[in-house]
Amino acid sequence: MQDFETLLTGSSEAHGHLCPGQVVGVRMAMLGCRLIGLNEPTSHKQIKKLIVYVEMDRCTADAVAYATGVKLGRRSLKFMDYGIMAATFVNLETGKAFRVLSTEESRDLAEVYAPEIQGKHARQLEAYKRMPDSALFRVQKVDARVKDKDMPGPTRYKTTCQLCGQVIRDGREIIRDNKVLCKPCTRESYFKHAREIAWPEMDWTPSKVTDMQATHIECDSGNLLHIH
Amino acid sequence: MLKKIKIENAVGTQLAHDITEIRPGEFKGPAFRKGHTVCDDDICRLQKLGKNNLYLIDLADDEIHENQAAGILANSLAGEGVVWEDNAKEGKIGLHAAHDGLLKVETSSLAAMNMVNEVMCATLHSGTLVKKGALVGATRAIPLVMKRAPVERAAAIAAQNNGTLKVMTLRKASAGLVITGNEVYHGLIEDRFAPVLSEKIRLLGSEVKGIAFAPDNEEKINSAIQAHLDNGCDLLLLSGGMSVDPDDVTRMAIRRAGAKEIQYGAAVLPGAMFLTAYIGNIPLLGVPACGLYHRTTVLDLILPRLLAGEKIGKKELAFMGHGGLCKDCKECVYPHCPFGKGL
Repeated sequence: MQDFETLLTGSSEAHGHLCPGQVVGVRMAMLGCRLIGLNEPTSHKQIKKLIVYVEMDRCTADAVAYATGVKLGRRSLKFMDYGIMAATFVNLETGKAFRVLSTEESRDLAEVYAPEIQGKHARQLEAYKRMPDSALFRVQKVDARVKDKDMPGPTRYKTTCQLCGQVIRDGREIIRDNKVLCKPCTRESYFKHAREIAWPEMDWTPSKVTDMQATHIECDSGNLLHIH
Repeated sequence: MLKKIKIENAVGTQLAHDITEIRPGEFKGPAFRKGHTVCDDDICRLQKLGKNNLYLIDLADDEIHENQAAGILANSLAGEGVVWEDNAKEGKIGLHAAHDGLLKVETSSLAAMNMVNEVMCATLHSGTLVKKGALVGATRAIPLVMKRAPVERAAAIAAQNNGTLKVMTLRKASAGLVITGNEVYHGLIEDRFAPVLSEKIRLLGSEVKGIAFAPDNEEKINSAIQAHLDNGCDLLLLSGGMSVDPDDVTRMAIRRAGAKEIQYGAAVLPGAMFLTAYIGNIPLLGVPACGLYHRTTVLDLILPRLLAGEKIGKKELAFMGHGGLCKDCKECVYPHCPFGKGL
C-alpha cells in the first residue's frame, strides 16, 4: 500500500476536498487491509481478493474506496445504508473479515490531540492524523460470507419481471404471489409514478455524425453497414 | 459471568474480589482479599460490612477479572521511570516513581484511554516534581468482570509514546548566573537575586558554577555570558534588565551573545517578561525582577522542565496561560496549589 500521506493526497483529489472524513477513511482502509493481510489491495494479484462493505455514504466512504481500490461497478464495494461510520474488510481467499468502526469519542478527543489548532474542522483533521488506531477505531472480527449472487465476476443469473418485462440481474427479484417481480413493480422503490417520456435531442450520440452524411462503417464481419 | 449466592450459602467458596472495609476517619482497605475461602467465622463480619450476597465468578474466554485488567492497563501506562506491582488492591494498581524526577503525563493518551468504557486512570499533574516511590497515578477497571478486547484497546492507547506516565530524571546542570543592573554592579544596593536563584537551582540537584555581575551594558553582559560558557556552564540564568525601560539591555546582550530561538514573554504571572533562548544546546533564561519579590514565579515552572530535557519554546510558554496566574497568597503553599497546573 502507498504511504498514508500519498493515499490522503490522492483520496482528497478524487473526492474533491481534504476533510477529517478523508483522514479517517484512509486510515480505516489501511487498518482493514492490514488486518485481513492484503498489503497491496490495488495490485493485480490482490484486487480480486478484497470486498469492502461501507456502512455510510459520507466522505469516509470515498476515502475507503480510493485507498483500497474497491469499486461499486466491480462489485468489490458494497454500500450498506446503516448510517454507521464503519466498514468491513473481507479477504475472499482466506474468509477473514474485520469490521472497523470509527469511535464516537475520537470527535471529543480532537481537542486533546490537537489543542493548538483553531477551528473544529482543522483540529479534527490534524488530531485524526495524530491519534493511534486504538483511539480512532474499534475492531470486530465478523463472519461475513459473501453470497454467490453478490460476488464479483460475470452475471450468474438473470430473470425477467412478469409484470413489466424488465430484466433483473443477480437475484434481486421479488417473488410475490408466485410471480417474479422487479423491485419497482413491488412498489418497494425509491421512486413512484414512473411515466415513460420522450426528451429533446433524442438522437444524440458521443460520436455524432455531422451533416447527416452517409458513413460507411466496417462491421466485424467485414461487410459494410450503410448508415444515413 | 457472575453468579450471585446468599451469604449463608457462601461457606467454602472463594471471594471473587477484595471486600473493602471503611471505618470513617480510621481505616479504609480490604477486609478480605480476593481468593479468600469463606469460613463460618467470616459470615457475621461480612454481614456487618453490608454483604448479604456474594458473587461467584465463572470467566468466559473473552472475559477478564478486574485485577488482571488493572495489570494490563498498568503495564501500558507505565513509561520510563514508573514502576508498579502486579498486586491489585480493591481492583486498583498504583503507579509509582522509580526515582526522583519530573512527572510527565501524555494527557492526550490519558484522555483517550479514559474515553474507553469501563477503564480509568487518574494521575498527578504533568510537571509535578516527585520523589522516588511517590504515587503518581492509579488505574483500575470499573466492573468486576469485563471483556478483554476493550481493555486491550485502552492499553494500546496508553502505550502510545512509550507509556502515558513517565518520571524524567533531572540532569545535574552547571549553572552560570549573570546578575545585571548598575545599582548592584556599582554597589548602590546589595544583590539579593543570586541567593534566590542559587537556592532554586540547588534544590533541583544542580550546582551554581559561577556568578558574574554586570552593569546595564550590552557588551559587559555579553562578556559575562561568554565567560560562563568558556567555563563549561551548561545553563545560564540572567537576572534583571528584562523589562521595557531604556536601561533594560539584557535581551539585546543575549542576542549579541549569539543566542537563537529567543522567546520573550510567557503567559504566566508573575513572570510575563521571562525570556528563553539557546546558544547551541545550552539554555539561557532571562529572569525578570518579579523573581525577587514572589516566592514562586515562572522560573519554578520552567526550570524543572528544562532540566528534565524538555525544549522550551513559544508553544510551551504560551500554553502555560491556563493556570498560569498565581493567586499571590499571603502564605505560599506552592506546589500544593493550582499555579502552573493547567497544562
